[in-house]
Amino acid sequence: MKYQWHFDVVWENFPIMLSGIWLTIVLSILSMLAGAILGMVIALARLSPWAWLRGLAYCYTELFRTTPLLVQIVWVFYVLPLVTGIAFSPFYSGLVAFGLNIAAFMAEIYRAGITSVGRGQTEASLALGMTNAQVMRRILIPQAVTRMIPPIGTMWVSLFKDTSLVSAIGVTELMYQARFLAVDTYRPVEIFTICALIYFVITFPQSIGVNWLYHKYRTRE
Amino acid sequence: MADVVVRVEDLHKSFDALEVLKGVSMEVQRGEVVVIIGASGSGKSTFLKCLNRLEEPNRGRIFLEDVEITDPATDLPKVRRNIGMIFQQFNLFPHMSAIQNVMEGPRTVLKMSGEQARGHAEQLLDKVGLSDKLDVKPGQLSGGQQQRVAIARALAMEPKVMLFDEVTSALDPELVGEVLSVMKQLADEGMTMLVVTHEMQFGERVADRVVMFDEGVILEEGPPDKIFQRADNERTRRFLNQLHWEGD
Repeated sequence: MKYQWHFDVVWENFPIMLSGIWLTIVLSILSMLAGAILGMVIALARLSPWAWLRGLAYCYTELFRTTPLLVQIVWVFYVLPLVTGIAFSPFYSGLVAFGLNIAAFMAEIYRAGITSVGRGQTEASLALGMTNAQVMRRILIPQAVTRMIPPIGTMWVSLFKDTSLVSAIGVTELMYQARFLAVDTYRPVEIFTICALIYFVITFPQSIGVNWLYHKYRTRE
Repeated sequence: MADVVVRVEDLHKSFDALEVLKGVSMEVQRGEVVVIIGASGSGKSTFLKCLNRLEEPNRGRIFLEDVEITDPATDLPKVRRNIGMIFQQFNLFPHMSAIQNVMEGPRTVLKMSGEQARGHAEQLLDKVGLSDKLDVKPGQLSGGQQQRVAIARALAMEPKVMLFDEVTSALDPELVGEVLSVMKQLADEGMTMLVVTHEMQFGERVADRVVMFDEGVILEEGPPDKIFQRADNERTRRFLNQLHWEGD
């Protein structure tokens, strides 16, 4: 038996798909920003002179790196309101979950970047009379940034795809709209095929870009 | 009273179970050039790094003029401004040009204006023979040139004493001379210097005093001709002999 493809249902409902794409992009960007900022705080904590603060930051990153992202999303949506008394909309729950999750990974990228700058750089800066903050700002971070860019790119690409998981808590991003349309039109095959294609079309150039970044910064060293 | 710039009293330093410095005391006069020799692992580099507390001593006291560096209440960054340090691996900032490297201390630490710092840095790079390399990044410089930039960078802070930690050991042999010449020039100008080195000719020609480290203590010290020609201690003589290859 041969399946009869009917892509016209996709084109008819494309505005709905588009609104999903838009939300996927917005959620990805906001999650990345939140994670990048919070991750910096956690990375500084991990590099701090105080053992208790380092321990706390270590526990944070490991907690988010060793539990499934879907579990984190669902936990933030269902459990966090009970614990804190603050209920977020699905979108904000997703943003909080991703922000916290990305922060853990960003913290590791920052930390690895900073520690990859040789000990000699810190010694030379301290010997000039710099404070620890000046060493960080003037010497370590500028050198670490170029080493951080490629792994940040990799993380961005996986974040963009992973946002599809928030469809589970009812965020109306691309995957949610696809599921909705699949049920609504009885055409899941066409809808999910196009949905996959959309992710591919948006992600593939970014993936190429990340490979280019790796190449660029590797040959420079 | 003599004009003492650096005073070290009974300095001890261990790395875990390994005792690297076992009670070192030393006084350095203003304008004096002290050359420190000794085998690898004798503690001479660790001694230098304790002086500005890049390594934290376990016991003992260190003074720069009348400031106790080892006092926990001392403002460490402020004291370190006065102690220039040159490293074996140069440790220039690779993301900055030669002149930016030299300006970095005055700009960031001393809050000097850009113009003033630049003028001063140009003079210093000229002094070390690199006035044509101002805007070149360290990666494009030879080892000898990098080390001379590092000396200019330390000089920019107008230190009261300069510490040289095996500064020619990472250089190709033909580049050693240009760095030693700059150091000799500094010595002639009256800079107070502590120099850890294996360049015995430099020691003979430039040192006011040679100090022999052995297993974490000062084995013997004296004027260069004494140490190099007629050392009292058998171990010093043996160490110096090992440096000369006399064939089979």
